[in-house]
Amino acid sequence: MAVTSGPDQAVAATSSPTRLSRFWSWITGIVPSMVAHRGDYLYILPALAVMMVVIAYPVYFTINLSFHNTGRALDFDNKVWTGLDNYRLLLTGDYSREFRKVTINTLNWTIWSTLGAFLMGLGAALVVQREFIGRGLVRGILLIPWVISAVAAAYIWRWLYHSDYGLISGVLTELGLIDSNIIFLDSVDMVMPALIVANIWKEFPFAMIMLLAGLQTVPEGLHRAAMVDGASPWNRFFHVTMPHLKGVTIITVLLLTVANLNSFTTVYIMTAGGPANASQIWITDIYRIAFQRVRFDVASAYSVILFLVMMSMGYFYVKALTRGDHRRTIK
Amino acid sequence: MTIHIPRDKWSHSLNRRKLLGYGAAAGLGAAALRFDGMMAQEAVDPTTWTPEFIASQAGTLEVDTAAEMAAIVPLDYTGKVSYWYVGPSEAEPQITHDMDAAFWEAFAATYPNIEVQVTSVGYNDMLDKLRTAALGNAAPMLAKMPILWGVEFAASGQLMNFTPEDAGYSSAEFWPGAMKSVTWDGEVYGVPTNNETMALIWNAALFDEAGLDPESAPATWDDVVAYSAQIKENTGKSGYGLVARVNAGNTPFRFMPQMWAYGGGALDEAEDSPTYQTVYANNEGSIAAVQASYDMYVRDQSVPVSALTNTQAENVDPFIGGQLGMMISHPSEYAKLNDLAANAEGADAELAAQVVENTRYGLIPEGPARRAVVFGGSNIHVMNPDSVDGDIDLDAARALVAFMTGPEWSTKLAWVGSNPGNVRGFQTSWMKERIDTIPFLDVTTSMLPHGIPFPVIPESTEIMNIIIPDMLQNALTETMSVEESCNDAASKIESLLGGL
Amino acid sequence: MSSAPASTPLKRSKRRKADFWGVAGWIYLILLLLFAAVPMLWMFLTSIKTQFAALQYPPQWIPESPTLDQYRNLLSPSSSVGPEFLRYMLNSVWVSTATTIIGVTVAVPAAYAFSRFTFPGREALFYSVLLRNMFPAVVFLMPLFIVMRNLRLVNNHWSLIITYLTFGLPLSIWLLKGFYDNIPIELEHAARIDGASRFQAFLRIIMPLSAPGIIATAIYTFIIAWNEYLYAVTFINSKEKLTLPVGLQRFFSEFVTNWPGLMAAAFIMSVPVVVLFLVLQKYFVRALTEGAVKS
Repeated sequence: MAVTSGPDQAVAATSSPTRLSRFWSWITGIVPSMVAHRGDYLYILPALAVMMVVIAYPVYFTINLSFHNTGRALDFDNKVWTGLDNYRLLLTGDYSREFRKVTINTLNWTIWSTLGAFLMGLGAALVVQREFIGRGLVRGILLIPWVISAVAAAYIWRWLYHSDYGLISGVLTELGLIDSNIIFLDSVDMVMPALIVANIWKEFPFAMIMLLAGLQTVPEGLHRAAMVDGASPWNRFFHVTMPHLKGVTIITVLLLTVANLNSFTTVYIMTAGGPANASQIWITDIYRIAFQRVRFDVASAYSVILFLVMMSMGYFYVKALTRGDHRRTIK
Repeated sequence: MTIHIPRDKWSHSLNRRKLLGYGAAAGLGAAALRFDGMMAQEAVDPTTWTPEFIASQAGTLEVDTAAEMAAIVPLDYTGKVSYWYVGPSEAEPQITHDMDAAFWEAFAATYPNIEVQVTSVGYNDMLDKLRTAALGNAAPMLAKMPILWGVEFAASGQLMNFTPEDAGYSSAEFWPGAMKSVTWDGEVYGVPTNNETMALIWNAALFDEAGLDPESAPATWDDVVAYSAQIKENTGKSGYGLVARVNAGNTPFRFMPQMWAYGGGALDEAEDSPTYQTVYANNEGSIAAVQASYDMYVRDQSVPVSALTNTQAENVDPFIGGQLGMMISHPSEYAKLNDLAANAEGADAELAAQVVENTRYGLIPEGPARRAVVFGGSNIHVMNPDSVDGDIDLDAARALVAFMTGPEWSTKLAWVGSNPGNVRGFQTSWMKERIDTIPFLDVTTSMLPHGIPFPVIPESTEIMNIIIPDMLQNALTETMSVEESCNDAASKIESLLGGL
Repeated sequence: MSSAPASTPLKRSKRRKADFWGVAGWIYLILLLLFAAVPMLWMFLTSIKTQFAALQYPPQWIPESPTLDQYRNLLSPSSSVGPEFLRYMLNSVWVSTATTIIGVTVAVPAAYAFSRFTFPGREALFYSVLLRNMFPAVVFLMPLFIVMRNLRLVNNHWSLIITYLTFGLPLSIWLLKGFYDNIPIELEHAARIDGASRFQAFLRIIMPLSAPGIIATAIYTFIIAWNEYLYAVTFINSKEKLTLPVGLQRFFSEFVTNWPGLMAAAFIMSVPVVVLFLVLQKYFVRALTEGAVKS
């Protein structure tokens, strides 16, 4: 993919003889090596082929379209090159006010969902790590929200939050805690927190299971030693447990962040971005601009901006995933 | 309009005319049979269509569908056609399912050699799916769509020129409003299948409890606001079933009548001869209509709070549950109500019977400017060969279109939900049966003269599904003042139409 | 944190503190269980109400006349919805199973190659695979539709299987690679000395040792495929080819909603994946521990 070819093409394009010769020696080095390893590629070929079909063309299509105008007739074959116009439209033009608002929503949504799911998952991992009867069942129950479909989850929460007939307001009224129903999804102030809670519900089990796996790697001996030394549980957690969880924490937080930035179903089914765009986030806005306002060109530019953000996240993700990777390869 | 559709899209039309040649010749024989109906001779004048007139017409025409069809496309024609429509879903009344099944059986019996690939798509998915399919050149040959959508596809060059005459009928057999909805830039792109208007239904028991006359509908939209407040005040239940979800077709169908009644509109679509060139969204009438909604939602809090996330589907529930006083209702909802009541058991049966017994229906209220309702319904379109996967079998397509839009099936397919698109359907004995068994039809057909079609411009879907609901939401959440939200909508419409 | 065993000699104050954390942990666990389970419970309770009872307010906490009608309706081949719903289920089973089997078949050799071999471009390719999940589904709807159309796969389950494969691949390859990294190379060397080919060594030695990882990636892929909505709604047109998440939508029409029916369908749809996960979750944790976290 782009990672391999980008810089090399740039090198090839320059006419400097030293660069050219360096490029040549690189080529003469790599080609025989690739030929020698041709058998190796067979192992990854199926995976790469599928990835190519599903990713390469769509990425090209999106980036290409983001520099064109397709007009109302949406004729993809006769699109007009407009350079950066779509980007300008988004960042400084007609769409900019909306774009800024949606960006703030997206930040709120991503940061609070990620933080909430991670902290709740961490707490959950700590309590279900203890030995007790029925632990398997408890873990299982806690995992259900993650396993069920996002469509079903969104409908369940919409039903729970319902401004007129919701269970949550119903229970609170019954207990005498509130006089009138709490308005969740129909209030510009409450809608984001309400959606974030539903999203945390769906995601915390993932953080839990990741961190649970991380906790297995904390040597039991260290805990005992710390306990004998009289360290408080709080201290033991910070000085013994947390350092061992550093790696899995980074990966979990990154995966959650990416999942939240890409999370479409929950928001779309529960509010479709409303009321008054108060819960519109990038991904739902892209869908709205592309499919409902039928501006695939502007939506493509929007997507490219999202790609760029994702790729910078991806840089850290890859770094975190491949820590200490080199030492394990065999010749 | 700033963007013009390249005319070379239509180069295939020559081919089409050639194909239609022999069909038209064969159609002459049937003409004598069909033109003895009084209504077909000149364009329909909706103002004369009182319930009495409709009742007097029903049952005066005998239709031999197979004979009519034979004159349009030979009954032994061998071919293949693909077709998408919003088929009956699980939540719809049983009779709709039965009629749908009967239709396909009858078509198969009449044209045993035409293979139909039928695809029933969900109402909420259909528009997005069809857009994707048409852009990806994977559209079906035929698609039946709600009235609002067609012109967008026509303007994008994704539909083929196709008139009622191409299906062997006369354009005069269809409502003028419906014909307008299949016309773009002077060309006709489809045949109306069914047309309907909505009406107001209310819960008489709740009216009574609130101290209102249980037997009379609010006469004006100002009355609706007052009644709604009184119901909330005296019973604690919601008064009027407001709907303001974005990107749900339900919202414009329920809000535009109110906007038009006050003299407003998105554009000048409510005027006698609309130009679709002037933005009305921030005129006095529009502001008054948004203000009325604001008064109900914010000031009196007399409507369901969930109006901003609800589609109409979710409003039916509280109405059935006796939690909602009144709402604008589609004939299908009323049918479903009866269906639920008929199938309920035990304690439910009692409750259901009560709701049905207490349900009253009447005209949609009027405003200072007029009484108005959305002229709704569906049209069937032939897709442009460029957008279709493979070639179009035009005669098979004509057979299906003609079969569906003839007097018999345009009446039967619209059984509980709508009215026949082909006005000869009103003269059939099936229409008489409907009038005798479905009392609600009376009032929805009486609303027909007040029907106003959505603006027939490709931008209509965005205006009605996005801009208008956004305007309501901005005002109802107090993100903007009423006036600001109207101005905001007006400027969005203006920039959408290219500054006019 | 593990609570202090009774035999550990601790000062009283430390002891009390440990108890405090122990109790706080239990309270947290109970709240957590409520948070996780109540929405599911409410889904179930709504699904056994009659359509009218579901619409009452304040709600009936426990249905007054519970009924399994909705379930009977959905699962009986002779009812009006039954055949359709069962068809959706069958489609979902087929799509998810095919995705899982192919997903594992594709991921295992790729992960092995990334772990063991040193072909040029190895790292770049590995990163590219991992980056797949950075691309949001919504953005690709239109271009991917065009791709599928050119492959003549629109309205065909293979369009979904191919797409879903790529969702599961990054995590699968990463997890399995972690497993292979931890399997001593000496085992393979021994096999090679015994005359096995490189592929045979991989098949006989490595595959069995990575079983937990394979189970975990299989479950993960299955769940993703079972629950996916957006592509399914875009690529599939015919009613008889729809998968469950899209079929769920059919409980909403333009005008009416059947909440108990919807909730019953959601419940039935959740059962297979929940059961699968309950049974196999220990492998999942183990796989994550051995394959990904430990390094």
